[in-house]
Amino acid sequence: MVELEGYVVVPLRTSPQAQHCPSVYMREHFIRLMDPNKPKGRTLFLINVPPYVTEDSLRMVFGRAGSIEAVEFAAKPGKEETIKWYKGTGEPFSTTKPPFIFKVAYIVFEKSSSIGKALAMQSIDLFNSSGECIIKTGMELWHEEYESNYILDARKTKLQISKYMAGYDKRERAAAEAAKTGEADADGWVTVGKEGRNAGFEQKASVIGRLEEKVAKGNKTKELKNFYTFQIRESKMQNIVEMRKKFEEDKHKIKLLKQSRRFKPF
Amino acid sequence: MARKVPLPTAIPKKKKFQQRDDTKNVKPPTLEEMKELRDTQNLFHSNLFKLQVKEMLEELQLKQKYTDFIENWMESFTVFTRQLKDGLMEWTHLEIPMRLSQKPTGFVFSKPNRDPYLIGAAATGTLLGPKIVVDVALEMPKEFLHKEDYLNLRYDQKRALYLTYVTERLKESPAYAQDQFYFNYYANNPLKPVLELIPVNKQVNKHLQVRVFITAPLSSFKSGRFVPWNNNIRPSYYGDEWDEEEPLPSTQHYNANVLFDLTLCENQAHLDKAFKGRRNFQDGLLLLKVWLRQRQLDIGYSGFGAHILAAFIVYLNTQRILHQSSSSYQVARTVWNQLANTDWTKGISLALVPIQTEELTKFARHYDVCFIDFTGQHNLCANIPLYLYQRVREEAKLAVELLNDMKLNSFPLIFMQKCPLYSRVDNILKISNYSCINQMLTLHSQPRFKYDFAKYGYPQLLHLITELLKKGLAERVHSIVPLETATPAWPVENKAPVIGNYIQLGLILQPEHAYEVLNKGPASNDDPEGAEEFRRFWGEKSNLRRFQDGSITEAVVWGTAKDSPAKKRLIVRQIVLHLLEHHLQLDSKEVQYIAGELDQVYQLSPWFKVDKLKTQLSLDQDTDAEALSPHVIRCYDEFARQLHGLNDLPLEIVSISGVSPIFRYCEPQPVLPQARLVENRILASTIQRVVIQLGQSGKWPTELTALRALKTAFLIEIGEKLEAQCRLHWMMSADGLLVLKQGYCFVIELAHNKELALLKQEVTDTGITTYKDNATSRSLERQHYILPKVSGALHSLHQTYSAFGSTVLLAKRWLATQLLDDGLWPDMATELLVAHLFQQRYAPQSIAAPQTGFIRFLQLIAHSDFNGELFLLNFNNSWQDQQIADLEHNYRSNRQSFPPLTVATSYDIQHAGRLWTSDQSPSQRVLGHVTRLARHGLDIVETSLMSKDLRFVRPAQLFRASNEGYDLVIQFKPDLVPNTLSYDLGSPFVSFSQPNFHLPRAGSDYIARIVGQLRSAYSDFAAFFYNPHGGKELAIVWRPPTDFAAKPFKVTELNACRPCGNRRVQVSKETLLEEFKLLLKDFYLRIATPEELKREQREHQQPKRYFNTNQTEKSRPERKVRRDRKKEALPKRRIRRSALKALIELEK
Repeated sequence: MVELEGYVVVPLRTSPQAQHCPSVYMREHFIRLMDPNKPKGRTLFLINVPPYVTEDSLRMVFGRAGSIEAVEFAAKPGKEETIKWYKGTGEPFSTTKPPFIFKVAYIVFEKSSSIGKALAMQSIDLFNSSGECIIKTGMELWHEEYESNYILDARKTKLQISKYMAGYDKRERAAAEAAKTGEADADGWVTVGKEGRNAGFEQKASVIGRLEEKVAKGNKTKELKNFYTFQIRESKMQNIVEMRKKFEEDKHKIKLLKQSRRFKPF
Repeated sequence: MARKVPLPTAIPKKKKFQQRDDTKNVKPPTLEEMKELRDTQNLFHSNLFKLQVKEMLEELQLKQKYTDFIENWMESFTVFTRQLKDGLMEWTHLEIPMRLSQKPTGFVFSKPNRDPYLIGAAATGTLLGPKIVVDVALEMPKEFLHKEDYLNLRYDQKRALYLTYVTERLKESPAYAQDQFYFNYYANNPLKPVLELIPVNKQVNKHLQVRVFITAPLSSFKSGRFVPWNNNIRPSYYGDEWDEEEPLPSTQHYNANVLFDLTLCENQAHLDKAFKGRRNFQDGLLLLKVWLRQRQLDIGYSGFGAHILAAFIVYLNTQRILHQSSSSYQVARTVWNQLANTDWTKGISLALVPIQTEELTKFARHYDVCFIDFTGQHNLCANIPLYLYQRVREEAKLAVELLNDMKLNSFPLIFMQKCPLYSRVDNILKISNYSCINQMLTLHSQPRFKYDFAKYGYPQLLHLITELLKKGLAERVHSIVPLETATPAWPVENKAPVIGNYIQLGLILQPEHAYEVLNKGPASNDDPEGAEEFRRFWGEKSNLRRFQDGSITEAVVWGTAKDSPAKKRLIVRQIVLHLLEHHLQLDSKEVQYIAGELDQVYQLSPWFKVDKLKTQLSLDQDTDAEALSPHVIRCYDEFARQLHGLNDLPLEIVSISGVSPIFRYCEPQPVLPQARLVENRILASTIQRVVIQLGQSGKWPTELTALRALKTAFLIEIGEKLEAQCRLHWMMSADGLLVLKQGYCFVIELAHNKELALLKQEVTDTGITTYKDNATSRSLERQHYILPKVSGALHSLHQTYSAFGSTVLLAKRWLATQLLDDGLWPDMATELLVAHLFQQRYAPQSIAAPQTGFIRFLQLIAHSDFNGELFLLNFNNSWQDQQIADLEHNYRSNRQSFPPLTVATSYDIQHAGRLWTSDQSPSQRVLGHVTRLARHGLDIVETSLMSKDLRFVRPAQLFRASNEGYDLVIQFKPDLVPNTLSYDLGSPFVSFSQPNFHLPRAGSDYIARIVGQLRSAYSDFAAFFYNPHGGKELAIVWRPPTDFAAKPFKVTELNACRPCGNRRVQVSKETLLEEFKLLLKDFYLRIATPEELKREQREHQQPKRYFNTNQTEKSRPERKVRRDRKKEALPKRRIRRSALKALIELEK
């Protein structure tokens, strides 16, 4: 067994005969600010997990070391990286998938004793007892992907939609209800809806922008621009400055062009 | 304008006091500065233009060492000529550069009485690099010429002898002994041999040569001897009989040829006077010369020489159109303007003694174009054919229009861009067979032309063929321009080459008429003579026909109205070949007519048999992608009608737009109605995307998932209605609703504003909702809102320029065969670049032949400065000046934030430049790779086009990638990857295998998806190339070795690394290969190096067949990649590999 900078390095085998295997680096997950989802003492941290490895396959492999609470991936170690990794995925009717890249994995065991067992593993074997790879790739994967994810069965989809929409309607109604009552919640906050007597204006950037513009416009109409001599003088000066600026800018452009040797016609 | 003004760093707006303080720093403008700033606006196009012109002129400025050298050389040459003595030439060991009628011996030389003088560019101070040619004239003394020397080329022979004599003395002289001596013909004119001398001086010999012209004083002959209507070469000189009664034929071109020498001195003196000390005129002329040379209009016998422009500047000055103090920009601009708006065919004159209009007309009648010189005797444009002159005028007109377009930085278009003449013509006719040329000259050229051109073949041929084609093609052709190449010089000891037995013409077609299938003659009963003439002209092709309107006329039919566009484009070729055969007895094998050679690449593969396809359409076996698109579009139109007509939908469908390339004629692979339903799944090789929008409703949910759910429900509803009301098969997919109609598969996507808004929505910390573009929202907006608009615009572009679509097809096929797929080089970028080519006016005429379009596309890629240039497509002119200026400013000042190739259309202003391309596709290195490929391709095209003997490139030369430069090739199982329906020119790696055309499931492009996966995971270690049009190999280039070196352990840089001892880690190629194999399971046949494949190909010349793949699989394990052998092969690899590598390193 190789150890490097506190990491245990094990080969990840996809078949019993595999020779050139990717190396996975693992250790117990430990950082100063622990994430509550990756509890101290029960979480195994893996680096250099190849892109094709799935949560399920890791669950299967490390299941041998003890029962597993969760397996999570991230693009790199760090706070909120896991959330970023899973953002937008798993929602119905969306095709967003986590990226297909090398990643890190967190395996949360139920018992802390499992960690030691996992670290003692000689290799991560991604094949079953008969030597077949448990990761689906190639034609098998794509065929399955096509059949189950690309083609949607109309009847089933319709059922799913009606179920989802029923849930959505319920949520919406509840929200509308909450807005109408206008009662403060435990923290003292009142939900203000679009309707009702004390409805607030929409907190949108465009709406706010429009309001601010209106104020600015009002101010502007009151201002006299071309009234005093000094204003006229200044505007003239401004004009010259602009002209000079333009000239300098053009000169700069030319300098850039010159660097790329764009003036030799032949 | 070197004044530096301390600028206020920023103009503050907040506090008044501060503003006062800052403005104090502004220097009061001096009068000079004000004037200069204002002048720039008036005298020049803009600051930028002025500065660019200034920079270019500086670049062109002749170095002091050259001016010094010329001065010294002239001094010593003058001394040399003074030393020359009269004498008898008894014998010469040089070859006289002309055919003489008697032996050169016994020629008596008389020494010149005048010092040699500079002429042309050297005299006017407008020498232009990189090859500086200093023209020097040496005048023969008057006594040397006899009274009767005007007749029968005697003058020219004497001139040649004189030149030889002087050359020989020069060679003997110790001062010149080391120099290199060549003869050449001035302007490809065999009557004008000149001496080309390359001085041995180390400092200048690379770039400088001296040309010595021999001239004679104007008073040598009686004035009026060489007026255009006189004959100076008698028919008897060529042993011809001439009827005594008939007046002798005029030899205006020969006369002009002699007058060129006689008037040279006087003309030069006037030019000198006009240009001396006037930097503005000189610079103006330089600008014009650059412009002319970039267009290659000044080459050869029929070339529009720069001396004509010099004379024209003086002409405009004397006419008071051009003021003494005009800026160089104004000089160039006025010359273009006047060129475009005056007509020289009636004649203009510089003569000091005014010429009467009648006399001028009489003079001009003898030439196509007439511009009389200072002496009033010589026509400066004597040899210029009408079509070439018109070409110059059109180019000038274009230049003025480009200058007037304030939205455009026209400088590079006018001065920087090379626009060789061959890329501006649609078809090219080449006749180089010696016997054919001779036969044409002896049998078909009229004798008077023979005398006129002193038996020089080229102008006779030019005249003969141009006249014939002009008559035969009539309005089909816009112009017929000669394409000449300059004769190479030959050493003085060698015999002068015979030139003029080869002709190359470029045809610019008139797209509105060129492809008409019918030539209608006069009605036989109204105009029997005309009909007879028509029959005679067209020969047996002409038939008496009755037309639908009841008229009965003679007519020639070249095809049927139903013919494919590619076939119709060859009608002109048919006509030309027929005319040449009928009138000049030229067999079509003897001539080369270059048109549509490359169109083959988008034809239907001959391996696919159309008659086996069950369809109601009548399809030919030799159909192509272009001819097949209308069928799809027709089917789509009908489908759109059905969609609109659906009853009982909760919301109405308000808009339907097709966004796949085929709807804008840009799909390079033929689409056949093959899609069908098998076992409840749709099989289709391509699916056509359609985006629909529904009528307004306030009831859509405000949550993304719910919105998507409802959209899906809506699409299912549409599918059900389509099945019930129109009996179409449908299927719901993650992409949208798949519908099968008449053998085509469509996928309907539903666009909704709210989805876009929800994707953009973000809530800031203060609880304010903002809408910000992100990658997902951008791609959705592009697909659902911008692409339909751009698609419509490109479709209409194709309606205007019928060559647009097929040019895109060629370009896309080319990129695909160079193993570049959509992931490396976006398809849309190709389409938009070609659209740019058609929309932006690079040439006076729009492109009518796709092949020319493709050549221009290669030029665009090869010569564009992608770092500095922004490709703008201003569809419908909807982009405002200010917006363009802002975008360009933004682009220049913030180049890093834009992708390497930046394309923007007026429909995506808010995303300008970031929508169609990205940093990854095309990446800097792919862009460089494509540029190099384009340059290489262009080289091949150019050599074959401009060479006398080579035939035009075969498509396989351009449309097959090189097999060098790749480290590994992964071969797919041929029976799992369907072949392309396009005409396949073979893979660069393996020999031909049995094609398969089985249909994949609709929307399942497995190979593209796998390659996508490989790229996303392993791009840091390798680059992947494959041909998206049915490529069966995946070529891999590893990153440079430094990326695979051992490195210290770092948690964030551990990808694909394995420990290698000494606490270091290393990326292992073997492991990566195993992973590729794992991902490609079931698809890959084997992995090998290109060398191995090449060797194998050599061993098995027989086409390999993979009928029993199981057997090949078994033998696989032995075929492992052998690293050691690969290492051996490494040094042998050629340039491409190193270039690729260099690029990868460069990017690092």
